[in-house]
Amino acid sequence: MIDRIACVLAVALLATGVDRIHAEIPSTPKSAKGEAFVPQPQLAKIASLGFDSLASDYYWLQAIQLVGGAVEDPSAHGYTIGRLVDIVTQLNPHVGHPYRFAAIWMTGSENDVRFANELLERAIENHPSDWRNYFYKGFNHFYYLAEYPEAADELEAAAGIAGSPAYLKRLVPRLRSQSEGLEVAAAMLSELHRSAPGPAARVEYEKALDEIETERRARMLDDARERFKKRHGRDIEQVEELAVGPKRVLRELPPEIHGWEWMLDNRTGEIVSSYYKARYQVHQHHRPGLFTPSAKTAKTNVREGSEQ
Amino acid sequence: MFGRIATIANNTVREAVRNKVLYALVFFAVLLIGVGVLLSTLSYVEQERIIQDVGLSAIRLFSALISIFLGVGLIHKEVDRRTIYTIVTKSVARWEFLIGKYLGLVATVWMQVIVMSVAFLAVSYLTGAPIHAQHFYALLLTAGEVAMLVAIATFFSAFTTPMLASFFTGGFYVVGHLTRDLKQLGSQSDVESVKTAANVLYRLLPDLESFNLTVEALHGLPVTPAEVWFPLLYGLAYISVVLLLGSVVFHFKDFR
Repeated sequence: MIDRIACVLAVALLATGVDRIHAEIPSTPKSAKGEAFVPQPQLAKIASLGFDSLASDYYWLQAIQLVGGAVEDPSAHGYTIGRLVDIVTQLNPHVGHPYRFAAIWMTGSENDVRFANELLERAIENHPSDWRNYFYKGFNHFYYLAEYPEAADELEAAAGIAGSPAYLKRLVPRLRSQSEGLEVAAAMLSELHRSAPGPAARVEYEKALDEIETERRARMLDDARERFKKRHGRDIEQVEELAVGPKRVLRELPPEIHGWEWMLDNRTGEIVSSYYKARYQVHQHHRPGLFTPSAKTAKTNVREGSEQ
Repeated sequence: MFGRIATIANNTVREAVRNKVLYALVFFAVLLIGVGVLLSTLSYVEQERIIQDVGLSAIRLFSALISIFLGVGLIHKEVDRRTIYTIVTKSVARWEFLIGKYLGLVATVWMQVIVMSVAFLAVSYLTGAPIHAQHFYALLLTAGEVAMLVAIATFFSAFTTPMLASFFTGGFYVVGHLTRDLKQLGSQSDVESVKTAANVLYRLLPDLESFNLTVEALHGLPVTPAEVWFPLLYGLAYISVVLLLGSVVFHFKDFR
């Protein structure tokens, strides 16, 4: 009897020990560390032994972990996300959202964005009647690559598909004529925000919309500053001067949307929000995860006056 | 003749349903179908598709495992227990015995497929996942695939040990899902003999991928009648050839 009790106790003790040791093993998924083994799609297809769609789901869940897991800046893993989504969509090209998931998160470099566009091209081949794939591709061309004719072409294709929002038709000529506009960016981001599938992506778009609204107000102040110069023959020393005194040019300053204040940037002399401390430029994204466009892109991104 | 085959088939079913391994496999299959619901929560989109993907894959995988586990010992068990001597010395022809065994086993595996399908449909219904005709086509073709696999297992069981038979049948299952890739790889080769060999192997080995309508079912893609009836017809023909070969081998087998 005592032997049996001793045995049970020994087993319980060992099991507890095993459990404690197990709990000490770091459980951060390899994919979250950027060490995910991502095989070649052809190899993954052969290894799936006819269970292609199941294997596709497996890699999809791995891709999601990179965004929803312990990773601070998912777009820094854009290439890994792209390779995972490439496998997902080669194993099962009929999936819908993974293509757009790649477009949302593959923003870390120009190569990532172009890779995302290749995946969106596959999405368009497999879902020709889904306007969203054209829209995301157009957005990438416009927002990240500053390739306006291509962006307009994609939006035109999206606008021609049943079920697409009516405003797309209005965006196309604006893109063709005046490709720099904040309004175009705001309209596209609003659509992306509206259709964002998860909170993480939604937050990213909210940040971008927030910056755009701040920029819109800053541009109002720029206009007022010009009027101030004409009226007083000098520039402002403080932003508040625009709305004080008998010869003020504004009744009141537009509120800084975060409750912070407007200030003059010491380095550039521009009016900036003390929250962002820099001006927003539609195609030059300084936020983490958004790459600085290539030389060709930067050259075409002369912001001044584009919205006036 | 049909009476004798039916009797053997009937006995095979009775014997097979006593096998505890069978229930363990069915249990795990049903469990996996349910686990699909948990897995799907890891994704914030297309959850219903993931539930059904895991479910259909579980049915395909476990019905294949059941076919192999039960099929490979089909004849060997009779030889081991020496019951084969009493059967084949009676008025039962060896081929009748083999066919009877095969039909009994197919009926058993199909019963399991039905049980798993019911679990799959119940989970789909309860989670609100759409169920359309393509799901039934996919399940029908899974039944066709396992019938083919049981025939291959029966063939190997007719002349070799269960261990080797399971190895060969498993190999056929794996290769059966790769024959299309094999053919494609062969067609890309510049060497004519490689092309021909790949083509011959493609025709010789079972094309089990033609029984796979999982993606069509998951996405509700259109399925033509040819995609359902031709694989079934092909399966029937392939099974006939394999069983005929098995009968010939079994006819000349020396049980001593």
